[in-house]
Amino acid sequence: MADALTQLGFASWLSVLIASSIKVTLILVGGSVGMMFLTWYERRSISYMQDRRGPNRVGPQGLLQPISEAIKTMTKEDATPREADKIVHFLAPVVMLGATVLSFAVIPWGRMFPVDLNAAVLFVIATGGLHSIGMMMAGWGSNNKFALLGGMRGVAQLISYEIPQVMAIIPVVLMTGSMSLQKIVEAQNDFGGLGWYVFSPVGLLGFALFFTASLAEGERTPFDIPEADSEIIAGYMTEYSGMKFAVFYLSNYMSNLAVCFITATLYLGGGNGPGVDALGGFAGGLLSLIYFLLKSFALFFVMVLIRATVPRLRVDQLMSFAWKFLLPLVLVNILSASFWVALLRWDQQWPQLTEWFGAPSTADATNWGRLAIAVGLTLLINAGAVALIMRLTNRNVQKHLYTTDEELALGLS
Amino acid sequence: MTLSHLATEDVFVVERNDADFRAGQGMTKGLGIVFRKFRKALFGKPNSDRADTEGQFNVQYPEERLVLPEAYRNMPILLYDDATGHELCTSCFQCERICPPQVIHITQAKDPATGKPVPAAANFVLEYDTCMSCGYCAEVCPFDAIKMDHDFELSTGNHPELDVNYDRLLRPISYYEAIAPTMWSDVKEQAMKKLQNNIKRRPGAIGRDHGQKIKGGAAVAVAATPAAGAAPAAAAKPRGPVAAIGKNMPEEKVAKLISIRAANAAKRGGGDAGAAPVAEAAPIVETVVDTPAAASAAPSGPVAAIGQNMSEDKRAKLEAIRAAKRAQRGE
Repeated sequence: MADALTQLGFASWLSVLIASSIKVTLILVGGSVGMMFLTWYERRSISYMQDRRGPNRVGPQGLLQPISEAIKTMTKEDATPREADKIVHFLAPVVMLGATVLSFAVIPWGRMFPVDLNAAVLFVIATGGLHSIGMMMAGWGSNNKFALLGGMRGVAQLISYEIPQVMAIIPVVLMTGSMSLQKIVEAQNDFGGLGWYVFSPVGLLGFALFFTASLAEGERTPFDIPEADSEIIAGYMTEYSGMKFAVFYLSNYMSNLAVCFITATLYLGGGNGPGVDALGGFAGGLLSLIYFLLKSFALFFVMVLIRATVPRLRVDQLMSFAWKFLLPLVLVNILSASFWVALLRWDQQWPQLTEWFGAPSTADATNWGRLAIAVGLTLLINAGAVALIMRLTNRNVQKHLYTTDEELALGLS
Repeated sequence: MTLSHLATEDVFVVERNDADFRAGQGMTKGLGIVFRKFRKALFGKPNSDRADTEGQFNVQYPEERLVLPEAYRNMPILLYDDATGHELCTSCFQCERICPPQVIHITQAKDPATGKPVPAAANFVLEYDTCMSCGYCAEVCPFDAIKMDHDFELSTGNHPELDVNYDRLLRPISYYEAIAPTMWSDVKEQAMKKLQNNIKRRPGAIGRDHGQKIKGGAAVAVAATPAAGAAPAAAAKPRGPVAAIGKNMPEEKVAKLISIRAANAAKRGGGDAGAAPVAEAAPIVETVVDTPAAASAAPSGPVAAIGQNMSEDKRAKLEAIRAAKRAQRGE
C-alpha cells in the first residue's frame, strides 16, 4: 500500500505513515467489531444451549444489542475509589487493552498479513504476557482487598498457564522450522490445503493443550477464577465501572478472539483450505479469509460450549491441572515432535548422522512410509503419555479428595 | 430425588472408582448433551409441550402470553353486579382485619338520612404497592365481593397511583367470570342471594351505577332487571333527608325528626360556617390520603370540636395550620 501511495506522489515517509495508519485503524476496527459480534454470538449460542432465545429485540436478531450496551456503558458513571491509586487505576484497563491490540498486528487474516514478523510467535507470547501486568495494576490500584485478591489469583493463573501455552507452540515451530506465522501457514498447505498440523498426532495433542491453556489465559470458563463473577464479585474489576469496566471486557473478548485466531493459524492451517490455491489472486484471498474466520468462530463456539457445560475449577485444582497435567504432557509432546521431525527429515537435514555414526539410512524409504513410521511412533508416545499422566493425576486427586470405601472400612481416615 | 422427568440419556453417573481410567469421558458426554440441546433449540420447533425438556421455552412476552391458570392471583379487585350496578361489598371489614400487611382501608357508607351505617362501602382503598397478593382477603370475604385479579401489568411511574380507590377497584362480575369461570360458578348462587339481601337493607341511593366509568364493564342499563327495580328508582330521586324519611311516617313525626336533624347538623357544623364543608369532605378525603387518621375515624370529630371549647384566635390558628397541611398534601 505504501508503494502505491509513493507512486501517487506522496513523500516516502508520508506514504508509510498513511498506509500504517489505515492498517492500524482497520485492525482496531476489526478487533472491536469482532468483539461486539462475539458478545452477541456467545449470548445467542449459550441461550440456545439453555433452551432460551437470547437477545433478539434490538435490531434484527438482536444484532444491535452490543451497540445499545456500548451506549449504556458510556453513559454510566465512572467512579474511582477515593483511596485508589488514581494513575494506576486509570492505566490498568489501558494496559490490558493495549496488550491485546498488539497481538492483532501479526494475525493473518486469511493470507493477508498486516505485519510479517519473522518472530511472530514470540511476539504473540510476549504481548500475551503483558496481561498479567494490567491485571495486577487493576488489583493493586483499586486499593481493595477483594480486587487485590482477584488480581493475585488472576496473575497466578496467567503465569501458570503461560508456560504450557508457550511450550505447546514449540512443536509447531519445530515442524515448521520458523517462528513466522506466515511460514507456519504456508507449511500447512500440503494435501490440497488440508495439511493442517492438527491432523498429525503431535499437532493434535499440541492443539488440545494450547487451546486448554488459552482458555485459562483468556479467563474463560472453566478457568474464569480471576473474575469469578458469582464468588468474588468480579475480582480485579471490582472497583471499575462504566467505560473502564467495558474496556476490561473489550480486552477480554478481544484476547479470546486473538486466541481463536492464533489457534486456527497454528494448528488448523490458517486460511488454508480446499480451493484457495485453485482460485488464486483476490478471490482466493477472500476464500482464505472466509475459511480463517469460519475456523476461528468454530473455535469460539467450542469455548462457548465448554462454558455452558463445565463448572468452574477451584484454585488448587486449577494450579495442579497446569503444573501436574498440562506441563508434563507438553514436555512429552515436544519430545515426540522432535522424533516426528527427525523421522521425516532424517536424510535431508541431518545426513551427518548416517555418515558419521552409521545410523540406518532411510533415503530409500518412501515419503509415505516415513510418514507412517512417524505417525505410529509419535502416536504411541503421546497416547502413552496421556494415559499415564491421566492415571497418575486421577489417582492423586482421588487420594486427596475422596475417601474410598476400603479406607473407611479400614478406619484409615 | 427422582430424575424421572429427565430423558435417560441426560443422566450421566460418574463412577468414581480408583481403578477406572477416566480420560474426560464425562466431560465429552456433557459437551455432547449441551450440543444436542443447542441443535434442538436452534433447528427444532419452539417448545409447546411443557412436559418436553428440550427446545426453546421462550414466550415472547408482550406479543405472546401464557394462559394464566384460574387460581392465579395478583391484586385484589372488587366486584359489582352487571345488571344492577350494585357492588357486592358490604363493608364488613373482614378483609381489612385479616390483611397481613394491613393495606385495605374501608370507610363504611352511612344512610344519608339517619346517619346509620348501611351494608355498603363509601370508600375502599387498597395500597397495591404494599399488597403481598396473599389472597386472604378474597378467601375470607363472606360476600365474594373481593376477588384476586389476573392483571399483573401494574408498573407506573407515579407511586401514589398505587393507592387504588373504590372506583378503580371495581370490576363487573362478568369480568371475573371471564377470568375464573369455574371459581365463580362455585360461589355464584350464594353470592347473588346475599347481594339481593344486602340491597334490601340499603337505603335507595346507596349502590351506584358503575357501568360508565369502570374498565371492562359494559354500560349498565339502570333499570335492566325488575328484581332490582327499586334501587335505580331511588337513585333517580333527589338525595336528601326529606325524601328518604317521608315514606312511612306520620306527618308530625316527620316534622319533629326534621327539626332534630337540623339542630344536629347545626351543632356538627359549629358556629363557624367555614368549617362545615371541611367536616363533610373529611371522611373520604382523609381516608384516601392519610390512612392512620382514617382508621380512627377521627377527622369529623376534631373539626367539629373546634367551634366549641376554643377561643376565637386559637381556633383561627388551628384552622390555618390545618389548611396549610391540606394544601401540602395537595388536596
